[in-house]
Amino acid sequence: MWFKLALRLFKRELGRGELTIIAIAITLAVLSVFSLSSVSSRIQDSILQKSASFIAADRVLQSANALADDYFADAPLDGLKQARQITFSSMVFYNDELQLAGVKAVTESNPLRGQLVLSDTSFGKQTRLKGAPPRGEVWVSRRVIDVLDIAVGNELEVGAAKFKVSGVLIEEPDSGFNPFNQNPRVMMNYADVPMTEVIQPGSRITYRYLFAGEEEKVKALTDWVEPQLLDNQRWYGVKDRQSPVTSALERAESFLLLAGLLGVILAAVAIAVAAQRYCQRHYDPVAIFKTLGASSKQVRQIYVTHLIFLTLMSVVAGLIIGYAIQSVVFEMIKEFLPKPLPELGAKPFVMAIVTGVSCSMMFSLYPLLQLFNIPPLRVLRRNEGDKVKNNWGYLIASGLTVFLLMWGYSQSLKISAILFAVGATMIVILLLLSRLFVNAGRAIGVRPSNPFHLAMASIKRRVRANSVQLITFTIAIHLLLSLSILKNDIIGEWQNQLPKGAPNHFLANVTKAELTEVNQLLKQQNIHTEGLFPIVRGRLVNVDEERLIQFVSKEKEDKSDAGGRQGIGRELNMTWRSDLPLGNEIIEGQWLKPDSLGEVSVEAKVAERMKIKLGSELTFLIGAQEYKAKVTSLRTVDWNTMQPNFFMIFSDDVLADFPATYITSFHVSDKQKQPLNKFLRDYPTIMVIEVGAIIGQIQSTIDQVSIAIEFVLLIVVIAGVLVLTAQVQASIEERQQEIVILRTLGAKGSLIKNAVMLEFLMIGVIAGVMATIATEILLAVLQTQMFSMDMAIHWDIWWMGPVIGGVFVASIGLLSTMKLLTRNTSEMLRSVNM
Amino acid sequence: MAEISNLNIIQVKNLSKHVAVNDNDLHILRDIGFAVKSGESIAIVGASGSGKSTLLSLLAGLDSPSKGEIYLDGEPIHQFNEEQRAQLRGKSVGFIFQAFMLVQSLTALENVMLPAELAGKDNAKQMAEELLERVGLGDRTAHFPNQLSGGEQQRVAIARAFITKPKILFADEPSANLDGKNGHMIEDLLFELNEQYGTTLVLVTHDDKLAGRCQRILRMCDGELTEAEQGKQSNVV
Ligand SMILES: Nc1ncnc2c1ncn2[C@@H]1O[C@H](COP(=O)(O)OP(=O)(O)O)[C@@H](O)[C@H]1O
Ligand SMILES: [Mg+2]
Repeated sequence: MWFKLALRLFKRELGRGELTIIAIAITLAVLSVFSLSSVSSRIQDSILQKSASFIAADRVLQSANALADDYFADAPLDGLKQARQITFSSMVFYNDELQLAGVKAVTESNPLRGQLVLSDTSFGKQTRLKGAPPRGEVWVSRRVIDVLDIAVGNELEVGAAKFKVSGVLIEEPDSGFNPFNQNPRVMMNYADVPMTEVIQPGSRITYRYLFAGEEEKVKALTDWVEPQLLDNQRWYGVKDRQSPVTSALERAESFLLLAGLLGVILAAVAIAVAAQRYCQRHYDPVAIFKTLGASSKQVRQIYVTHLIFLTLMSVVAGLIIGYAIQSVVFEMIKEFLPKPLPELGAKPFVMAIVTGVSCSMMFSLYPLLQLFNIPPLRVLRRNEGDKVKNNWGYLIASGLTVFLLMWGYSQSLKISAILFAVGATMIVILLLLSRLFVNAGRAIGVRPSNPFHLAMASIKRRVRANSVQLITFTIAIHLLLSLSILKNDIIGEWQNQLPKGAPNHFLANVTKAELTEVNQLLKQQNIHTEGLFPIVRGRLVNVDEERLIQFVSKEKEDKSDAGGRQGIGRELNMTWRSDLPLGNEIIEGQWLKPDSLGEVSVEAKVAERMKIKLGSELTFLIGAQEYKAKVTSLRTVDWNTMQPNFFMIFSDDVLADFPATYITSFHVSDKQKQPLNKFLRDYPTIMVIEVGAIIGQIQSTIDQVSIAIEFVLLIVVIAGVLVLTAQVQASIEERQQEIVILRTLGAKGSLIKNAVMLEFLMIGVIAGVMATIATEILLAVLQTQMFSMDMAIHWDIWWMGPVIGGVFVASIGLLSTMKLLTRNTSEMLRSVNM
Repeated sequence: MAEISNLNIIQVKNLSKHVAVNDNDLHILRDIGFAVKSGESIAIVGASGSGKSTLLSLLAGLDSPSKGEIYLDGEPIHQFNEEQRAQLRGKSVGFIFQAFMLVQSLTALENVMLPAELAGKDNAKQMAEELLERVGLGDRTAHFPNQLSGGEQQRVAIARAFITKPKILFADEPSANLDGKNGHMIEDLLFELNEQYGTTLVLVTHDDKLAGRCQRILRMCDGELTEAEQGKQSNVV
């Protein structure tokens, strides 16, 4: 019997739109978690996969010596793909031309991640592939073709062996990015290395053992490898590399994570608000049921059934819509993603269902309990049961639910704990603040003919309801502001880093004698540079009379190769210069003056690691001579700029007498390429490094991450708008009775309208102001702690927050009131059941 | 004409109700005692705020007294918990309220069926249709409360009150929200059905004329109840 009644009531409520908001809230929670987790996890996957291609693997073991044949004998290698690389520098010959080349010998499985781009001529049709040159053949970069004037089909000498050139290597994913020592590439088969006889005791060779596979298996191998690493070995993944892509990825990941968390929180708030509202609307029916003899069990059965139906329905709807959204989004961004496309997997389904069910259960639990406790006496004493009691148990339970959801979603206890603590603190502060605002209104007297007074009186009357409402508005506006600002900051900073005209060429190995011509060419072609940096190579041997050699090697300084630009211990690229290079910032001491003598400016991280302080005296070994310089400043360096960067910059006097080569970077348009190449032909020793491909890779990564971020933001915005709408509607209902009284007493519609609008406007603006303050604080914390960005005040939001808050809240409020006001008074009287 | 037995269907002894309001004890009802015979119709009259509705809520088992005893159909409801009272209400009591108290999301028919359904009766629908016909709303069964006028809503409420054939009907100012014409129509209907079903009627009103249609009138004043002049019964008997 009760089931028929429950079903009938449910269908009715559904039909009357009473359940719409709560259904949408649950649906939205499910669909946002589903699409967020499916899209972002797939994008994250593919970003990781794609960026893994920057090292051609998931993890690499790099060693200065060949590993013993049985090194990996008892390593957990099951299910992992493997490849090997050997790299060394060697002279290569064709006819009578010679060139120093970076030789890379690879096994057939190379690269494990990403693909090579190969062509049959310098500018021929390109094919993407994995693999190694067949034995006896090599693939060479365009530069080799140009400098040696060799063609595909010709024979190239490498060491003691001759190889047939069978392809032009246009792109390799792990070409690395080190403008200081990049020689034109010659790629050969791993098995051909012995033939060249270049590997001799003492020659500088790098062995790389590449691995790729599922994260767990890679982790297992990591656990196996790390304890036995020697000083000249290194175990690294994409994220260990210092590159512009890495930091972009990390920020994107953090952002997606954060946005996901906020989406969950907003959904929870929306459900809580909507459930509260639904239950309140059923206080009367429950009182009637009970009066007419319904037992508490029957009442419970009816409403629990509603909840189950509603949850079921909304979860299914959420999954369907979420699936559709993610398919569309995925279709849109497919071209950015590497093939094969990552699988959807079960995780998004599980997460979405768990989120939907637990949100709908947990956040409607307390309202439901209150509903079950409505006394039948309410049919006579109409306010019975209206007073909401504080229930700490419920507060703790719902707090715990939010926390568990956050944890489950982020998989990071630390981030969840921090965000949760910050959020909880913020709510407490907001609660106090909102009390303050509302109480401040007490001082003002009430003249009922004045809409402002009427509004104030109304705000005062519902201190409690209003502070809850104020907090909800504040949180929603706050989250929206924070996310959109953060999005703009992140994407903006990326674009700043790699603007359209970012350098795409490095010119290195320029001699002093060639300086004039190079400068002339740059001027002629109107190419902008930050100037040519002289490079002298040397070693740091003493810090304040303390020999460095031991602790340098102990610190595994061989990292320099894989990391690209960290070299200390072996050889350092040092420069001198009178003006501070772009992207450098003095954090301690003073920058070199034109008349400075024997001074050096040191990069801050190196200084910290080597315990170099302002005023330390450093001794360098340059050639066979020792030179001393005093540290007069410490600098931070933005490694993400496409500029030559230096750990050590000297005053003019120290290095000026040493033979130096020069390096610079600049942007070259397609039109300028021709004259540049022509020029370079006359100076074969000048080295040009094209980084356009790398920049392209970075940019496409950034593009796809930006899309993900925009998408996530959109969903969070919808969730936020829903919360606002639900809250305004709920509070309109609270005021319905009051409006009816005013109406019955003969208040004009316009007076009521103005009063309601003013009330919402005030609440909206106050919420906007509080949200703005909260946003600045949160952003300051996030930007410095999580995104390693500089802190900045966002002046925009100081007007945006209050304006958006006021306008949005007031207009939804007005819209809902208008609907009330167009109904005639007696109809309202009836529906209010006064 | 309903038969009045000698059985006391309602028996009240030393009934008091007080509530705490802002740290003060507000005494709403003081030491009330009276009895109602089965089939009798009584009116409780008194000024607004004198405690009529409070007394009704206690008699009907919607609330529990601070002190005293109430026997409803022989059951000591002052000792009952809410669950037992609900059961008794469903079985033996019907209600009509000033504010109609219809469930807004149920049709007129479904509202009338509600008590019978809650009690697990099988023929709820048929009985409800008959009753709606009886109150003159046979063609409005599928209408929702907000599609009905106040008088029509109260007629639905009356139909609902009788569907379980209750022994006692409690009515709290049933016509106070209606204009004169509709109010009278409701009153007529109420008394007609009451007579037809032989129900004991406890009617709360501040309208002396309406009270006069009952057999007995009790007057509520400052929480104390006094037996007033005889009503209709004296004229008839
Ligand atoms: N639970 C309660 N809390 C506070 N005051 C109450 C409570 N119940 C009744 N009262 C007060 O007791 C008085 C009697 O109320 P009521 O029985 O509704 O009077 P009547 O129905 O005669 O108009 C009123 O002043 C009312 O405000
Ligand atoms: Mg009353």
